Amino acid sequence: MNVLLDYLPEFGRGVLTTIELTVLSFAGAMLIALVVVSCRVSPVKPLRAFAIAYVEVFQNIPLLLWLILIIFALPEIAINFDLFACAVLALSLYSAAYYAEALRSGINSVAKGQAEAARALGLGFLRTQTSVVLPQALRSVLQPLCNITIGLLMNTAITAGTGIPELTAAANAVNVITSDPLPVYIGAGIVYGLLALLISLVTSRLEKKLVIHR
Amino acid sequence: MAKASSTRRRIALMCAVVTFGATAGACSGGTEAVPGANNAAQSMLDRAPVATEAELAASPTAMAIKQRGELFIGASLETPLMSQQNPTTGEAEGFDATLGKLLAKYILGEPKRKIITTTPQIREALIQNSTVDAVIQNYSITPKRAEKVSFAGPYFISGQAVATLKGKPDISRPEDLNGKKVLVATGSTGAGVVKELAPQAQQIAFNTDPECVQALEQGRGDAWVKDLPVIAGETKLNDKIQLASGTFGSDPYGIGIKHGDESFKKFVNGWLKKIQDAGLWQQAYQESLGTVIPGEVPQPPAIGSVAGS
Repeated sequence: MNVLLDYLPEFGRGVLTTIELTVLSFAGAMLIALVVVSCRVSPVKPLRAFAIAYVEVFQNIPLLLWLILIIFALPEIAINFDLFACAVLALSLYSAAYYAEALRSGINSVAKGQAEAARALGLGFLRTQTSVVLPQALRSVLQPLCNITIGLLMNTAITAGTGIPELTAAANAVNVITSDPLPVYIGAGIVYGLLALLISLVTSRLEKKLVIHR
Repeated sequence: MAKASSTRRRIALMCAVVTFGATAGACSGGTEAVPGANNAAQSMLDRAPVATEAELAASPTAMAIKQRGELFIGASLETPLMSQQNPTTGEAEGFDATLGKLLAKYILGEPKRKIITTTPQIREALIQNSTVDAVIQNYSITPKRAEKVSFAGPYFISGQAVATLKGKPDISRPEDLNGKKVLVATGSTGAGVVKELAPQAQQIAFNTDPECVQALEQGRGDAWVKDLPVIAGETKLNDKIQLASGTFGSDPYGIGIKHGDESFKKFVNGWLKKIQDAGLWQQAYQESLGTVIPGEVPQPPAIGSVAGS
């Protein structure tokens, strides 16, 4: 345990970076997912095709590959982001595919009559989605969204191998100096567990307030 | 055009490494040298010593390996000149790879060994839980590591070196790294050395050496710090990077074995002495590192000459 206390500043910075990565990627992924899922349920065929292609491509290629492609392949076509931005981009694009699928199941659970009623009131497609369908959809899929977010938190560890100084990278760096892997990685594991627990707690609070019981 | 295609190859290679790293590690085990593919290597193996019954009997670990019929070695498959998988033969080639084969022959009478690809983060754990019998992977002997595992050797004295892009002469001493972005491999000794000699350097860690080189080429870092053999190997493959300075720090490589297994350590040290006396160590160096590092074949280090070995 001493190892963890001796290197507290390193671990602290690592935890902060992990949280930043998770929060920013969550925001980015939700934004992309809302766009993708709107395309998916839109009446325009090319948009639906785009949404299906997006989900298939990002769910069927591993995150590490996206990360390496974004970091090393984009500069080849003269697009340069810094490493942290690359990590957020990869995590957002990748997780968005999963969020989009969860949101779609939420939209499917909203009764058809809701959208029909909105249209009868004269609302357009976008208004119908943003004011009537999506709010209800979101509230019914809080739990799956929580699970995907915990997955996103765990996935941030993958960025350790590409120069992002997050928690796993901090553990790696401390382990090089101390060669004491067990306390170092168990300690990091416990912190991940606590962060995941925090996400669960926030979700269950939200659920109590928001979930629609049908 | 040539440059672009070399970069494309690198990307393709990297993707392949990432995707198939695990599988490659799994299938590389136990493959014998292709007959006639490398006659020099074959004749070297023919001349390699085999342990006597008495020598084997003195080490329970060596006996157990003999009974299993295969030596499990923790090593890398992507370190040029040290241990790199040849894509056409599937064989690992380089200084460490050759030593691994010679050790397998010494114990088993034939170079039958399985390579388990390891990373610096998990080497100690793999030795402790007996997944591997020995780690031969430019494994620097440090006092901290010596508390967890035992080191036979040292079998090679290396040092850290700095690589930069060609035409960037502003780094000639380790102190010049201060204030620069320095690429290091996750969990390498280089990371610790840079922290000590250039505390103001900003370290950026990548998992593999090819990733470090690619990041250097794309300007994500000003310099790349790693053991001399690795840098020498990469500068041979890549004409955009150069060795920026001489080595600093003394970095003795050891063969990692289970902590406190004195009889096996003695056994491995005895073998090292034999291959040094027979000139096999020197030949292995000449065929790998010696093709890039200028100068004569160095004197093999005296066994047990380093704290922790």
